[in-house]
Amino acid sequence: MTLARAYLRGMWEGRLILTYTLLVSFTFLILAPLLMIALRSVGKGWFGRLWLPPQLTLDWYRWAIEVGNIPEVMKNTLIIGIIAVVASTVIGIFAGWAFGRRQMPGKEVVMAMILLPRMIPPITYALGVAKIFYTLELVDTYLGVALAHVSVCAPYAILVLSATFEGLDERVLEAAGVCGANTIKRFVYVVLPLIMPGILASMIFSFTHSYNEFTLTLLTYGPHTVTLPIRTYLAVGDGYWEITSAMAMIMVVPSLVILAMIQRRAKPERLIGGFKGV
Amino acid sequence: MTAFWRRHSTGLITFLLLLPALAGFFGLFFYPMFLTVILSFRPEGQTVGWTLENYTMFLSDPDGRWVIYLTFILALGCTAFSVLLSVPLSLILREKVRGHRFYRLMVLIPLVVPGLIGALGLLLFWGSRGWFNLFLTQLVPFVQRPVRMNYTLHGLILFYVWLYFPYTCVTTLSTLESLDQSIEEAGAVSGANRWQVLRHIVLPLITPGILAGSVLTFMAAFGAFSVPLIAGGDYRPLAVEIYKQIAVPIPARWSAASAIAIIMGLLQVAFLVLYMRFVRRTGGAGGGGQ
Repeated sequence: MTLARAYLRGMWEGRLILTYTLLVSFTFLILAPLLMIALRSVGKGWFGRLWLPPQLTLDWYRWAIEVGNIPEVMKNTLIIGIIAVVASTVIGIFAGWAFGRRQMPGKEVVMAMILLPRMIPPITYALGVAKIFYTLELVDTYLGVALAHVSVCAPYAILVLSATFEGLDERVLEAAGVCGANTIKRFVYVVLPLIMPGILASMIFSFTHSYNEFTLTLLTYGPHTVTLPIRTYLAVGDGYWEITSAMAMIMVVPSLVILAMIQRRAKPERLIGGFKGV
Repeated sequence: MTAFWRRHSTGLITFLLLLPALAGFFGLFFYPMFLTVILSFRPEGQTVGWTLENYTMFLSDPDGRWVIYLTFILALGCTAFSVLLSVPLSLILREKVRGHRFYRLMVLIPLVVPGLIGALGLLLFWGSRGWFNLFLTQLVPFVQRPVRMNYTLHGLILFYVWLYFPYTCVTTLSTLESLDQSIEEAGAVSGANRWQVLRHIVLPLITPGILAGSVLTFMAAFGAFSVPLIAGGDYRPLAVEIYKQIAVPIPARWSAASAIAIIMGLLQVAFLVLYMRFVRRTGGAGGGGQ
């Protein structure tokens, strides 16, 4: 008992060191997998029991770009992403306006219904989406894959934009009306600048989700619509870890840059938020 | 006509505003789910007739039941370890230690890294040539052989924790930060030591937050697809099993896949309902303690 107490006291006295040891090892465990991908993608002759690659090379990136056809794949990913972002932002603006600014009966129910896709594992409705797209011949088209992405992106857009419209101050609109602005002028000069940050946030969320979307793409893609996650997955199957790592780096670096950019502006809870109604 | 328009215009405009969202919801969620339900009752490869065979075949097969157990083992294991990791981590991060912003960013990293990339990196790191095993075999005495982590059950749970603990951690941290400090001070003034304050005041108050966060972790782990697809090896939870039904056999077994998908969706909803009931009860007890 005294021993245990002495041990606990020792832990308490060394708490600063203990805390930092825990935090540093935690950071290491989070970062090490990504670091290993980065090193693997530039390492040459890294076999056996070596901590670091003996030589550095950019060959794997060249291989990934030439053999993996990355420019084409990147083009597909961007086109699909842009269609998905435009569609979900349009949906989000209309629905956000309705949720944030208008009275309606059963608002909670409609909101919960629209957010329902986020409570069900994506693979379960991805299956039905794929089946429908096969009959409509939307599989392996930009529009089809982008539409499938909308089912993931639109709930985020609706959530973010509803909050934005709710935060819009009625008095500002009235003031603009008193000053003689008509509806269109009011929208262009007053409403639009005020909701622009919300629209941008929803576009960034939608785009990163479309860019990283794997499940729905896997079930609706074809030879002409290979996106970056699909290309990386196919490369995993081929078993060349170096080339796979190079593709993974090409894919993940833009996401991390975006995270660093929005980290100060967006609250982290926002990234996962919207489950309050569960 | 004008009278009708005047009376109903507000409701009509609201409906028109919601129309794109509703169209998307019905076309991309409701109708696909409906079709999946229909398909799960059709004999394989046919468009007419009704049968329960797809369900009975999966549920009476020992392999099928193992898939369900495995999915729950993975999801519950991941949730439990995420809570065990998140609570101490949030308590440390609340203290605003030097560089706490940086560590908070570290918590968010698995959220933005796609599961695919995370699985790839984890396979490299925990593999027999990765840093973890280099550390074990070279720096820890008496360990000669690399410890196998990839494609094992405990390794897969570990990968899940890496990917899905941030949901629990972020929620716990924000609950901790919204906690009124004066309650703890009152406890300390009343003569409770730090452990007692933590055990009897802080933990009961943040339990609802921890549980709410763990629901998110559970849901993500239950529906995880890309990670077990790449890093699961022979361990195939429900999501991978569904995909295998349409990817491996020729022709694809859509009806079998649909039946498994419906089973998976029902299990998730049933578990969520039970869990929310449990959370509400615990949350009520925590609130009553104030």
